[in-house]
Amino acid sequence: MRAALDLSAYPPDGMEIRLIERFASLRGKRVLEVGCGDGRLTVQYAPGAASVVAMDPDRPSLELAIDECDYRGINNVAFRLGSVERLPARGAPFDVALFSWSL
Amino acid sequence: MVHALQRAGQRLRPGGALISIRPHPTWRPLVSILTGKRRSPVARLINPDFDRYLRATEAALQRVVDEGWFGNARRRSREYRICLDNLSQLRSYLELINPPRPRFPPGTRAHLEALWKSAPPGARIEVTESMMVNALTKPR
Repeated sequence: MRAALDLSAYPPDGMEIRLIERFASLRGKRVLEVGCGDGRLTVQYAPGAASVVAMDPDRPSLELAIDECDYRGINNVAFRLGSVERLPARGAPFDVALFSWSL
Repeated sequence: MVHALQRAGQRLRPGGALISIRPHPTWRPLVSILTGKRRSPVARLINPDFDRYLRATEAALQRVVDEGWFGNARRRSREYRICLDNLSQLRSYLELINPPRPRFPPGTRAHLEALWKSAPPGARIEVTESMMVNALTKPR
């Protein structure tokens, strides 16, 4: 029997990435992820990306994302606390901006 | 939301892609009872407060295209299914969702409970969710 703790309201791992990559490959790309939350999606694509800046305004969620990346040995993700509007307008460009379940 | 999309657009290289993934704007979660291979739909959940956010997001995505920040708008949607063992898991599942949470239309929760009581051993509850992906391209 599946434990309640295993429940997730999100799609199965891999499903979102497959759908996203119908439009844009994330492999080898510089990715800006807006609303990364606990890093659930980040850890799925970051190992193949060139670099990732992952943002979220919720500190506890962001700390979970940092811990998860550390645990998995993913070291190409820079986490930023806050909303994308606070990202400087000028800076190194990204290839893909990913708004992940952020409204 | 428009400002967020514009700021992301400012930081994208020309030709770069903006991807938005989120719940489908009009498809509502469908709760069904699975008995063997048979799926019996029971209720579509409602969430008027969340629907407002979804409509605002749709409008924002359309606005940044209309204003020329992005072009080549494409979209695709997918359903996915969550299988649950019992009503307790369904409650837990709904509590996982960030507020505002979806709810049953009047009368349908009691209907589900009645159907579940009479369901044969091995029956499961299934929630069909849906997502939408929009892809926009920054002009070169």
